[in-house]
Amino acid sequence: MEFEGCNCFRQRLVLSTLSGKRVKIRNIRSKDDNPGLRDFEASFIRLLDKVTNGTRIEINQTGTVLFYQPGLLYGGSVEHECNVQRSIGYYLEALLMLAPFMKTPLRAVLKGVTNDPTDPSVDLLKVTAIPLMKKFGIDGDGLEIKVLKRGMAPAGGGEVLFTCPVRRSMKPVHLTEPGKIKRIRGTAFSVRVSPQMANRIVDSARSILNKFIPDIYIYTDHMKGASSGKSPGFGLTLVAETVNGTFLGAEVVSTPQGQGDPVLPEDLGRNCAKLLLEEVYRGGCVDSTNQSLSLLYMTLGQQDVSKTLLGPLSPYTVEFLRHIRDFFQIMFKIEQQKPGEDEQKGGEKVLMTCVGAGYSNINKTIK
Amino acid sequence: MEKKEQKRHQHKHSGPKADKKNRKKEQGTEPERDERKRNPRAFSVQSAVRMAKTFHRTQDIKTKKHHIPLVDRTPLEPPPVVVVVMGPPKVGKSTLIRCLIKNYTRQKLSDICGPVTIVSGKKRRLTFIECNNDINSMIDLAKVADLVLMLIDASFGFEMETFEFLNICQVHGFPRVMGVLTHLDTFKNNKTLSKTKKRLKHRFWTEVYQGAKLFYLSGMVYGEYQTQEVKNLGRFISVMKFRPLVWRTSHPYVVADRMEDLTDPEDIRLNPKCDRTVSLYGYLRGTFLKNKCQVHIPGVGDFSVADVSFLPDPCPLPEVIKKRALNVKERLLYAPMAGVGGLVYDKDAVYIDMPSGHGSQQQEVRPTTELVQSLIGTQATLDAKMAASKVSLFTGTAALTPEEVQENEMAPVPEHPEMTSKIDNENTFGFLLKHLFDVLCINRALRWKEDLAQKATEAYLRHQLAAPNLRKLVYGTVAEKEEDDSNDEEELGGLFKVNRPEKSKKVRADAMDCSRFQPDNSHDWDQEEVRSSIRDCFVTGKWEEDKDAATLLKEDEELYGDFEDLETGQVHKAKTGNKDQAEEEAPQVKLDDDEVQKNKRLEKKRRLKERFDAQYDDGDATYFDDLKEEMQKQAELNRQEFEDVDDEIRVQYEGFRPGMYVRVEIPALPCEFVTNFDPHYPIILGGLGPSEGNVGYLQMRLKKHRWHNRILKTRDPLILSLGWRRFQTIPLYYIEDHNGRHRLLKYTPEHMHCGATIWGPITPQGTGFLAVQTVGGIKASFRIAATGVVLDLDKSVTIVKKLKLIGYPYKIFKNTSFIQGMFNTVLEVAKFEGASIRTVSGIKGQIKKALRTPPGAFRATFEDRLLMSDIVFLRSWYPASVPQLYNPVTSLLMPVGQKETWAGMRTLGQLKHDLGIRNKPNQDSLYKPVVRQVRHFNPLHIPKELQKALPFKNKPKQMQAKGKTPRDLQRPAVVREPHEKKVAALLDALSSVYAYKNKKARAEQHAKHKEFLKQKEKQEAERQKRMKEERKKTYRAMGQKEKKKLKSSLKGASKDN
Repeated sequence: MEFEGCNCFRQRLVLSTLSGKRVKIRNIRSKDDNPGLRDFEASFIRLLDKVTNGTRIEINQTGTVLFYQPGLLYGGSVEHECNVQRSIGYYLEALLMLAPFMKTPLRAVLKGVTNDPTDPSVDLLKVTAIPLMKKFGIDGDGLEIKVLKRGMAPAGGGEVLFTCPVRRSMKPVHLTEPGKIKRIRGTAFSVRVSPQMANRIVDSARSILNKFIPDIYIYTDHMKGASSGKSPGFGLTLVAETVNGTFLGAEVVSTPQGQGDPVLPEDLGRNCAKLLLEEVYRGGCVDSTNQSLSLLYMTLGQQDVSKTLLGPLSPYTVEFLRHIRDFFQIMFKIEQQKPGEDEQKGGEKVLMTCVGAGYSNINKTIK
Repeated sequence: MEKKEQKRHQHKHSGPKADKKNRKKEQGTEPERDERKRNPRAFSVQSAVRMAKTFHRTQDIKTKKHHIPLVDRTPLEPPPVVVVVMGPPKVGKSTLIRCLIKNYTRQKLSDICGPVTIVSGKKRRLTFIECNNDINSMIDLAKVADLVLMLIDASFGFEMETFEFLNICQVHGFPRVMGVLTHLDTFKNNKTLSKTKKRLKHRFWTEVYQGAKLFYLSGMVYGEYQTQEVKNLGRFISVMKFRPLVWRTSHPYVVADRMEDLTDPEDIRLNPKCDRTVSLYGYLRGTFLKNKCQVHIPGVGDFSVADVSFLPDPCPLPEVIKKRALNVKERLLYAPMAGVGGLVYDKDAVYIDMPSGHGSQQQEVRPTTELVQSLIGTQATLDAKMAASKVSLFTGTAALTPEEVQENEMAPVPEHPEMTSKIDNENTFGFLLKHLFDVLCINRALRWKEDLAQKATEAYLRHQLAAPNLRKLVYGTVAEKEEDDSNDEEELGGLFKVNRPEKSKKVRADAMDCSRFQPDNSHDWDQEEVRSSIRDCFVTGKWEEDKDAATLLKEDEELYGDFEDLETGQVHKAKTGNKDQAEEEAPQVKLDDDEVQKNKRLEKKRRLKERFDAQYDDGDATYFDDLKEEMQKQAELNRQEFEDVDDEIRVQYEGFRPGMYVRVEIPALPCEFVTNFDPHYPIILGGLGPSEGNVGYLQMRLKKHRWHNRILKTRDPLILSLGWRRFQTIPLYYIEDHNGRHRLLKYTPEHMHCGATIWGPITPQGTGFLAVQTVGGIKASFRIAATGVVLDLDKSVTIVKKLKLIGYPYKIFKNTSFIQGMFNTVLEVAKFEGASIRTVSGIKGQIKKALRTPPGAFRATFEDRLLMSDIVFLRSWYPASVPQLYNPVTSLLMPVGQKETWAGMRTLGQLKHDLGIRNKPNQDSLYKPVVRQVRHFNPLHIPKELQKALPFKNKPKQMQAKGKTPRDLQRPAVVREPHEKKVAALLDALSSVYAYKNKKARAEQHAKHKEFLKQKEKQEAERQKRMKEERKKTYRAMGQKEKKKLKSSLKGASKDN
């Protein structure tokens, strides 16, 4: 399959690895002043090479053409130095998609930036993606994301442990009822700044959320010494849990040192709370960052009907849907659900229905 | 003939037996009492242990019967059942198919050629396929057969093909197998007939399962089997049930019953060997087939499908389910390859059958031929037709020609869609129509009159304002529109073009890859009304009617309304005041609400029942039941989800579902497929799952078939049937050592499983395979060489081969030696530093360091001193590489009549045999007379110092031979005189007498002494006895004295007190 441009780079490589179809991407930033693959993309390819066996990668001189012939997903113990241009979340999102289909359970140690403003952070994925994966039958003690060291944006120095068991097939899911939010939890973290920052964030965030629900608890996490990375910063991750086990998350991180205006912790807390409210307004059974993950698992399920209620589709998800059609020939039935006149449950929802591809983990060994 | 009068039976009239009978006769009218009650002793518990054991056993048997529940994915309208008729040649396969077809459809088919599909009943269709006597066909058909009719010539018995076919079936998932014995009329003797039947039946049972159905077709009447027997067989076939098989339920497949070459005749004229585009037709089976997927055609190869489309069913089931049997019109027959259904295939032409005779027959064939007829009837090409065609959207409107449509497409898109009044322009109108088409198609009942423009605009606006159709947004071609905008290129001086980064497209193509969804800032969460828009998302908000705690409580109250508290005697009444009030307020509404009330009551009842069920029925619901129920629910959902969607759209969501009659277009097929087409050989399109089209290393567990008479050699090419495929590959056999090492084997073990690694197509683990050495020709022996299962897939190999490196010591110090001959360079040694080595005599050692000269020599230490004659070796493991041979068996491409002669790569042995090469034996391996030289041992030399330190007796001097006595010391022999002799004799005699006397005296003395000792012992015993008594007396006296003393002292003490 051939593509143009570096847009949806991860999606293409991940889907190619899962479907076994080779991919050629041309014109990667060919008109740019700095053409070719960036360091973080190269680092991502290296990570894919580490978790697979028999992958063939060809990149031309300028880095504007990439040929990727996937191997088999191997897993095992992997340690990767992620490029600091993007946070670990960038790499982890792809690993989340691949991890259940490995030969041996994955145990990846990723080093780099744990939180930055562009990508979903490790904390957010920990609180939203992991419960989502459990719904697809990936459970057991093996499934875990652990922040060993925290490293903030420009310099990094963080360390994250991700372990995931392997599964032969995915369970079909019917996530049509998000349920009502029963509690809000969160983590306010600060590294290499005053520990008081975290408390200030918590207070401001609570001031907004308390109007909706009293069951709020925001942990403060101040990491010191070796586990605090190389750059200062602080941030807040909030997650709302519903009675049906849906997790909606939002996060805000302070601007990296030396890049733009510094933010006040109070503003940050308030912004994050508003973001969470926005996320609640969007609603659905899966929050906006994990839409593509849930859609992928639905696609790779057995040949049964799966349903998931989502909030409005993000542009990233729309691209992902197109790629799923290209790689797996699976189209989703997309039904819009308009909110009722009298109920006040946020915006429009989208019910995604599909028949799984009947995918089974061909990498897992049987004895 | 005289017949002996037999004595009649005498009934007893008395005695215990007669009494018993009488009693029985009397009680006969009474109902028989329960065995358990009548004879309780027989059913009492004899042993608790035994009881427990029997209980466990029954439970075990019960659980063993469970299968893992699977989601029921059988389609509502299933595809025809594939019935494969198999057997050795001249056994009556074609005759049986003919008879069965006649039985079902009352039609005669002269030539059975390709699959024949018939409607056999109200809910069942059958596809008959005859399997010819070729192992390729047998393998292919075993993979698609639902039912196998295994014909056996009773006059001959089982033939090798039958056993081979059964083994093939076993590997690829066992279809239903029914045996049919023919040629039973050749037996003249009834006894031999029944004996043969019994023998064959039991042999068949051991192969299939105990009690497998075996049919007997007793004889032929006018070249056909007896009607009644065929009818019975047909009845059995039409009621048979089938179990889903794993491979088939996870892969789509089509047994092609029609083939058409779509290649441009001009291309063929220019190059007769050009690749062909072919469309294959058939019922889709297995599971959903996706468009543009990969398929494998066994015997041809892997291809990607260009296009799939579904056609109206050529052999449909009756539309209305009737109570009675099918009528003649509904008993359809469809066999395009055999010439029924309008087409007859010849080698270089296609004949169209135009039935002219029977009117009724023509009617029957009608639906099947319609499509073909219309295809044939077309005179103009498609383009010409398209050009001529006019689209009229609605009745009464002017038809649009293609030119117009194109014109409209090119018309500029209006910037603002505000054109409510100015719709007189025809172009705009066309444009609108284009956009509205899908909206309006659904809503055909719409009134479409004068205010058409008005309505159209309104709808269009609504369409634009509301959220865009998401499906179109995601999957449609919305994104391409912007590209055309940035096409204006400037030229600089007519020479250079200004190459500007195209904004819209390129930016999108190189956009940031980030999954975060930035919110639009339309919501200001500081405002109260915005905040209240999500109020109900929280538990603190308003709940739905059926989940609200208050309503639920109220319902409970209604259900369990009135109750009396027994302790206090208080009577609680359900609150009805509320309801009464409501009734008072709206008495009229109540009448209308009767229906609602009734529904409510029903709902309440249902919920109550559910609760009751949950409380009482769930007690014995096991995990298994829960799982089964879950699967049931899923199956129901699968069925309902897309039920009411139009088929055209449905295939986009689900893919083509099994049971559809599909047309699959495959480009780039080799021309031999068409030119050498033989309808007697099955064409199967096996769908491949994701990444099953790739090639990699497969690890498999393999066992040589016990009926195959030779073991298999590593690196000998073998033909495997795995998944849909048949291919030749080179396996390497290995066995797993206790430490997980995969050690290469030269040959497969005789009766044991071993591992095998091949380079082949990626196939899911757990898939079974079988191996044959050749597919060409006919052999008397059993052809299936091995069977097994895929264990693991990988892109690298783990097999290692034992390698011993040998070296010789050339200098020996105490425990250190210099070894040479093992390596060639210093670098090689450096790689093996620290490796353990060993001598043949068992002395262990270690490689220490490389020596400078000679190159490859090294220093090694051992646990003991080596000898120069020792051989040192290093045991190592060398990774073996699997040859990357994956050679699909292309038997379908062979010329007609030679299809079973496909021969791939030859084995080394075959090559040598064919080329007449004989191996020269290694000279070292030949036996020669053993010549052993006598070994000379050097004398033992002990240093003087050591000699001094040795103890005297070990001193080597002592051990030295004495040497000769000198002459002067040698003594002469003594010779006696006769007198001296006499004296000596006398002295001898005297001394012997003396000795005798002495001996006698000593014996006497000994006896006396013994006597004395005895006496003495006796006396001693006497004395001891006496002494003992004396002592006893004394002790008693002493004791008494003591006692007295104690008593007296006690007394004295008490007195003192």
